[in-house]
Amino acid sequence: MLEVLSIPFMQNAIIGGIILAVLLSVLSLFVNIKNWSFINVGISHATFGGLALGVYLGISPISLGLLFAVITGLLIGYISKKGNIHEDVSIGILFSISMALGVIFLTLTPNYTSDLFTFLFGNILTITKEDIYTLALFTTVVFIFLGIFFQKILFCCYNEEVAFSSGINTSFYYYTLILIMAVATVLAVKLVGVILASAMVILPAATSSQIFWHYKKIITSSVIISVLIVLAGIFLSYQYNLPSGATIVLIYGLFFFLTVTGKNILRAG
Amino acid sequence: MENQILQVKDLTVKIGNSTILENINLSVNEGEVVAIVGPNGGGKTTFVKTCLGFVKPSSGYVRLLGKKPREAIKTGKIGYLPQKSSTPKKFPVSALDVVLFGLVNTKLPKKKKIEKALEYLDKVGMIGFKDKHYGSLSGGQQQRVSIARVLVSEPKIIFLDEPATGIDVLAQESFYEFLKQLKQEGMTIVMVTHDIGSSAKFVDKIAGLNRYLHFYGHPKEFFHKDILKKLYGSEMELIIHSEECVACEHFRFKIGEKKC
Repeated sequence: MLEVLSIPFMQNAIIGGIILAVLLSVLSLFVNIKNWSFINVGISHATFGGLALGVYLGISPISLGLLFAVITGLLIGYISKKGNIHEDVSIGILFSISMALGVIFLTLTPNYTSDLFTFLFGNILTITKEDIYTLALFTTVVFIFLGIFFQKILFCCYNEEVAFSSGINTSFYYYTLILIMAVATVLAVKLVGVILASAMVILPAATSSQIFWHYKKIITSSVIISVLIVLAGIFLSYQYNLPSGATIVLIYGLFFFLTVTGKNILRAG
Repeated sequence: MENQILQVKDLTVKIGNSTILENINLSVNEGEVVAIVGPNGGGKTTFVKTCLGFVKPSSGYVRLLGKKPREAIKTGKIGYLPQKSSTPKKFPVSALDVVLFGLVNTKLPKKKKIEKALEYLDKVGMIGFKDKHYGSLSGGQQQRVSIARVLVSEPKIIFLDEPATGIDVLAQESFYEFLKQLKQEGMTIVMVTHDIGSSAKFVDKIAGLNRYLHFYGHPKEFFHKDILKKLYGSEMELIIHSEECVACEHFRFKIGEKKC
């Protein structure tokens, strides 16, 4: 089993997977307390349009995926803040348009099938050293930002109007958080794909909050659970030749349902 | 001249095609307690939100601490307790964390912030609940913690939007007692309320708001049939319980008859 550690692409997958697990499980706290699950699903699916456009034009798919994710995230955030159209409706419209564009671009591109499958479901073989450097740099920047402003962001999540009346620039933190989510989601695409990327930023805190109520314990346990699940997913996918993204998300899902069931049994007992 | 904390001049607020507030003029001096009353949809919450800078006036202006609202809130000296919190029950913070939110914009060291937050939790009688999950507290307890959050930043004025809604009668009584204590300490308070009877006992002024400011003055002058009719749009009968009559269904009286 341990021989996998000597394989370069597995080393990349493991390091990349651990960094992603830590980053996304910390962000997961905000997704859960802000009820942003669907926003995240919207952003991750919208990435597909950009990735496909990149393939069609022959330029970096990840860069265009990032552009689509950021634009979609900010648009969803803006619409939801203005409240003219219901948030869920705007998310549904934006991500289906982006996915439809993606399908058209890929259809127009010859030999697109392998790329399509990679984008949708991820492929750990595609994680490069450069990806890891990007991921590490981005994670460091995000953690410095959160380290400085965590209490203010949490206050905004607690009650945006109250935070605003205390002199906090709530719009700045709101849009920055959405921007961070969008970039983190795109970075997760290579590991788990656009369909499953949102699961990695929804399930960790959703699971931990079944056991703990305080944010510090939720974050700590989310990080531990996520790292273990991502490692287990990578090893199992390697061992049984399964797609990495689907394996990771299935373990997350299984763990979530076990936690909920266990909690209910304990409560009933 | 008395120190004006809040000044509202010719204020009109339109949202879409509807005029919510029209030509409002009032001022609140330092240490005054003002109750804003009126029917639902009369613009009470919009008024508070305009004072705090959430809503922009269509015409006229608001000056808070002598500044525009959005500049005034940056001083961190404005307290706000919104109408029944929109915070989800499962929000993962303790009572102490909530009070610490009130100090998030101050530059005190962390240890000092905690000491100060504990001092205010003690002041509202919630020190024993400091490590409890905020969402697990009763409505009245959450209200006390929120008041500690508002007060810990040592504001010059606090805005309370229906602070006694959703809490039981005993908690309401004790909450009003606490407000009286704050008034004695010289706090300036602007409070939206439906509880005219309880608030009239200790506020300095009542503002009767229903699109227009129908009344602004001493509570004694407010309980007049014509004013209430103008404000609420129909004949009203008011029951006020005095300090002496505890269970006093028998002591109903009509507006204008100032005895119990």
